[in-house]
Amino acid sequence: MSVAPMPDPEEFGRNPRQGLSGRQKKQIVRSVQVILILIATFIMLVPIAWIFLAAFKNHLDVYTLKIFFKPTLENFSLVFQEPYTLGEKLVNSTIVAFFTVLFAIPIATMAAYSFSRFRLVGETAMLVTILATQFVPAVVIILPFFVMFRDVGLLDTRLGLILVNLAIVMPFAIWMIKGFIDGIPLDTEEAAMVDGSSRAQVIRNIVLPMAAPGLLTAGIFCFIIAWNEFLFALILTNKDAVTLPIGLALFKAEEGDLWNLLSAAGIIIMVPMFVLALLIRKYFVQGMTMGAVR
Amino acid sequence: MRDSTLKYLLVAPAVLVVFATAIWPLIESLRLSFTVGRLNRPDSLNQYLGWENFTWAFTQEPAFWNSVWVTAIYTVLTVGLTTVLALGLALLLAPGGKFRSGVQTLLILPFAMSPALIGVSFRFMFNPEFGLFDAFFGVMIPPLADVSWLSDPVLAFAVCVMADVWGWIPFLTLVLIGGLASVPQDTIEAAQVDGASGWRVFRDVTLPQLAPVLAVVIILKSIFSLKTFDQIFMLTNGGPGTATQTLSHYIYFNGMKYGQIGYAASVAWLMVIPMIFLTYAYAKYVFRKE
Repeated sequence: MSVAPMPDPEEFGRNPRQGLSGRQKKQIVRSVQVILILIATFIMLVPIAWIFLAAFKNHLDVYTLKIFFKPTLENFSLVFQEPYTLGEKLVNSTIVAFFTVLFAIPIATMAAYSFSRFRLVGETAMLVTILATQFVPAVVIILPFFVMFRDVGLLDTRLGLILVNLAIVMPFAIWMIKGFIDGIPLDTEEAAMVDGSSRAQVIRNIVLPMAAPGLLTAGIFCFIIAWNEFLFALILTNKDAVTLPIGLALFKAEEGDLWNLLSAAGIIIMVPMFVLALLIRKYFVQGMTMGAVR
Repeated sequence: MRDSTLKYLLVAPAVLVVFATAIWPLIESLRLSFTVGRLNRPDSLNQYLGWENFTWAFTQEPAFWNSVWVTAIYTVLTVGLTTVLALGLALLLAPGGKFRSGVQTLLILPFAMSPALIGVSFRFMFNPEFGLFDAFFGVMIPPLADVSWLSDPVLAFAVCVMADVWGWIPFLTLVLIGGLASVPQDTIEAAQVDGASGWRVFRDVTLPQLAPVLAVVIILKSIFSLKTFDQIFMLTNGGPGTATQTLSHYIYFNGMKYGQIGYAASVAWLMVIPMIFLTYAYAKYVFRKE
């Protein structure tokens, strides 16, 4: 028995030619959307999830496609032992990223405040230049630095890495913090100035506390960039100052890659950054596009 | 202190840092590009030979042209695929709600991942014996069952593109969701009331409104695609042969492995030129807003 679908009288007037009622059609569209979103999410998460699984597999299971296996923590202890000594790389990465941020944020904040509140001669030119330096390919920057560092003995040192990291981090920091300071209303500052506060007092007592969340966000953002930085560390370090991403290359053996150890190291690299990124997720996009898109 | 002095003192350290870490190396690279520039002979860093490095690249180095082509095709493919897929995903996720914002939060994860690690993980996924994606494609597309992806020039290139697209879709999606949020809702509703189909609404209302954001996204992604190094280095190291050798990788190899830093600098500068145009376009968009 076939019954012609009875259009909902309400919907009927709007869409006389439709076979399915508007509500049914909407439901189908909605389900298709949810399925597509789930597929996309699945594709996004699979490579990450696979590393997570592999990190807990033993050296035999890792060379299979097993999803169920006896988990082990052995890999996480192996990567910290000889000959891999990932602990040293972890310390290097932390120190380099931390001091990169520690140098970058105060310098960037001073500049950002000035760009935000004053008119400077050549202001646009300076801002464009700062923006543009972010797009200079890292290989171009590193060639002269390699020669110079070799001459002054900064090769394979953390200090050397921190200095070159400023090249990538500074433009982000300046633009991001400028965006935050632009968002702080001027009147509180002006009122305090009228009451006789000096500019230094205004900056210390009003601007800095109000910009603090922005500074923290920019700091975290720069920390992630410095932590993940690869090319500079690859070229400038070979033993003492090796960072975590370069450390990944250690897990190559004669018989091939040691995937269980690589995965454990991968987790140590990415999980802290996941936590930090989630903390500042609202501003992540803004940071990357330097305010070109809001 | 007077504000008129203070304002310059405040920007001075930042300007100094940017000059020392970005402008100076650019100028010094340009100087090096006109020298013999061998790493093992310090005096050669001051031995000038005119345009010879550049003419050498253009006339004597098929590997240079190869890396130009690899980079060009790589850029076109990754920019195109990432933008289209991210736009699709952004349209799906834009309506909001608990489920969709939960997914948006998850999208941060691939973007916080080090590109080097993305390269490693895709090498893992495409391992011929125990790679998950390798197994998946083997089942879905039987002719690919016994193929070793990373040993085949075309397929290895495809894997590099996939890894790049995978890593960038989340970020572009988030940017585009932000862009979609600024498309006025009442215009869309008005079009719907007038009986416009979903596709027509998208083409005639949403897309034109989204154009400036799309332009920024495309420029930004092009810049990052042109510079690609980390993933390629960890995934294929330019191979098999030179099938996936991007310009950055070519420069790295010539400068650091072969020690021809003068030649590497000249190729690096050739790479700066398209960047200047892209940066100019990008800056125009940023300052349009000011």
